[in-house]
Amino acid sequence: MEAGGDPAAPAPGDAEDLEDTRLPSEEAGDGGGVQEDPTDSEDRSLEETGSKTKDQPPSLLSPLPQSESPSCTRELWDPAASENNAMDDSESGSGGQGGDPSDEDWRSKRKHVFVLSEAGKPIYSRYGSVEALSTTMGVMTALVSFVQSAGDTIRAIYAEDHKLVFLQQGPLLLVAVSRTPQSAAQLREELLAVHAQIVSTLTRASVARIFARKQNYDLRRLLAGSERTLDRLLDSVERDPGALLLGAVRCVPLTRPLREALGTLLRRCTAPGLALSVLAVGGQLVTAAQERNVLAECRLDPADLQLLLNWVSAPAFAAGEAWAPVCLPRFNPDGFFYAYVARLDAMPVCLLLLGTDPEAFHDMATCRRLVEDGMHTLGAMRNLGEAASFSNAPSATAPSYSVQAVGAPGLRHFLYKPLDIPDHHRQLPQFTSPELEAPYSREEERQRLSDLYHRLHARLHSSSRPLRLIYHVAEKETLLAWVTSKFELYTCLSPLVTKAGAILVVTKLLRWVKKEEDRLFIRYPPKYSTPPAASSASTDQASHNGLFTGS
Amino acid sequence: MRKPDGKIVLLGDMNVGKTSLLQRYMERRFADTVSTVGGAFYLKQWRSYHISIWDTAGREQFHGLGSMYCRGAAAVILTYDVNHPQSLVELEERFLGLTETASTDCLFAIVGNKVDLSEEGASEGCETEGDSPGPAGGSAPSKGPKQVRLEEAVALYKKILKYKMLDEKDMPAAEQMCFETSAKTGHNVDLLFETLFDMVVPVILRQRAQGPPQTVDISRYKPPERTKSGCCA
Repeated sequence: MEAGGDPAAPAPGDAEDLEDTRLPSEEAGDGGGVQEDPTDSEDRSLEETGSKTKDQPPSLLSPLPQSESPSCTRELWDPAASENNAMDDSESGSGGQGGDPSDEDWRSKRKHVFVLSEAGKPIYSRYGSVEALSTTMGVMTALVSFVQSAGDTIRAIYAEDHKLVFLQQGPLLLVAVSRTPQSAAQLREELLAVHAQIVSTLTRASVARIFARKQNYDLRRLLAGSERTLDRLLDSVERDPGALLLGAVRCVPLTRPLREALGTLLRRCTAPGLALSVLAVGGQLVTAAQERNVLAECRLDPADLQLLLNWVSAPAFAAGEAWAPVCLPRFNPDGFFYAYVARLDAMPVCLLLLGTDPEAFHDMATCRRLVEDGMHTLGAMRNLGEAASFSNAPSATAPSYSVQAVGAPGLRHFLYKPLDIPDHHRQLPQFTSPELEAPYSREEERQRLSDLYHRLHARLHSSSRPLRLIYHVAEKETLLAWVTSKFELYTCLSPLVTKAGAILVVTKLLRWVKKEEDRLFIRYPPKYSTPPAASSASTDQASHNGLFTGS
Repeated sequence: MRKPDGKIVLLGDMNVGKTSLLQRYMERRFADTVSTVGGAFYLKQWRSYHISIWDTAGREQFHGLGSMYCRGAAAVILTYDVNHPQSLVELEERFLGLTETASTDCLFAIVGNKVDLSEEGASEGCETEGDSPGPAGGSAPSKGPKQVRLEEAVALYKKILKYKMLDEKDMPAAEQMCFETSAKTGHNVDLLFETLFDMVVPVILRQRAQGPPQTVDISRYKPPERTKSGCCA
């Protein structure tokens, strides 16, 4: 797993998370003491907790189109476009922050995420320029090594309304400084997702090798251009909650025959060394096919798939056919796959072919043509195009549906993750949610809803006192969260709904999901491309798969 | 599959404008691009030939793919930024090594991009004034003098020929193969690609004349006919 042998990594369920038991609003005044010394006060406790929520993948769904305007402008800029631009553009995107820790704007951000090297060298900061932050990062390194010198590992600091979560992953130190209601466990999942994203471009082995060779290496050199992907990942947590929170991927709603036909098509179109083929639209999964020889009995981790989905929706893949190495951190953090990425027919439909042969570009391109032809025969392009434009949102690129489709008045939004999918152990965790409509079209409102969902999630999954059902009357909406053996559900209802009314709405919603489940989810696990080969051949293939250690 | 007849590879440090050059030529537009991940592949028809163009990522971690990009390349476009001398140095230090797998009679072009950002470039980059570079250039930094002179590129070109042990007389003249371009205004971009395409065609023909390429074509493989009768024949 991602934790490796690292002492700071959360061993799932090893301890209880006290934080999770505090539920609603402790949000208050602006916390000044972000970087306080841990030794001088009682009101912070070094957290002794493991992450209870297990296996949450990097949440990488691209935000819904409406919310995209600010991030879009940023994405259009090459982060590495020029050194002097790097700062301007993040300013124009998020309303000005110089990165100087004394800067009010910078301080007022709800959540900061930093990545630094063990030597204290800045690698990434969500806001501001890393150069201006070197002293701040120095303080963080000091905190970590102070606790380390006592033979212990720092995990979190609670300071008034701030939470500081630390995560050490090999030579990298990741820190979240947050005023959001996210629990420390949730923040840790977010940091793990950030780490996975970094590993996916560099591999864990090469990061380790680089720092072993030169401790003060400036990793930004290698990550240049990837910062935007990290930004997008972190933004998606606030704008479009779900994937990271639930540890599941979102599927494009599609009729079952069409989805199965596409699955069959993907399985039929193979190329030498092809391990995984994925069809996606706007960061959502259409269908996937695994090659048995390569990924035999190894379930694709949803975190890895989510990472890929986020990756291919990056603007860098908008044109042409691309060929790039990519690492799946959960599958094998030290090896590369080679990815062929192309948009089919200039549609938002994206085909991703993952193989083990660094020279297989032309084979993959041939394979793509087969898929394209097959899709034309199926008429799938039109269908997927419709799916993509079905939503009311202007300039929609991500397929979605309106909550109106449920036909339950009072229901504003929901997240539904089925737990009763057939052949569950081989199935991808999935979830569904409608698009965010008014009153959640504005950035702040989305953030608020995301906060509420995170709070409920933290409460449901509190390791000390988990709950099954929460009915929460908030200021502007009523929420009901419910986890059973069959599903995990978060609903957001109008504030005027009564308890009885809420139950009625949820019943209606569950009935609707049941009726639509074939369309909303991939009900049957992705099949393998080739029939089970002779066992010797398959183990031989699998043994060297993914073990390329390029840098 | 349509097999490309020839291959051209764009190499250069990150952020010198390789993707922008290609986009300007293929799509006649200039957009703020995002950094390229890995390599991107384009196919261009030139007369009766299909020429594939590989746009590579300048970022270091993708250099592992370099050998695939360059294998059998008929031409390599080495790109630098005229405003960043280091980008020319990098060409020699980091990128030249990647071209080892290119074909032996591979052509080299050296391109200084972003002349629109320096003074001299501003005065001469008026070819495609119709594109009105005005509004897009809102955040253009103040123009300074060009940091890399064309002569330096010419010197590098000659050095490359020496390094590849090619005879200067057999190869196109340095003056012909060193360009200064602006992907933003379109200055010299067409000239660059079209000059190169014209030069690549004879290389393609020569390669064809030399017989089958090193790669094995399994699609045309015919099982050997059985001449001797086996035991069960």
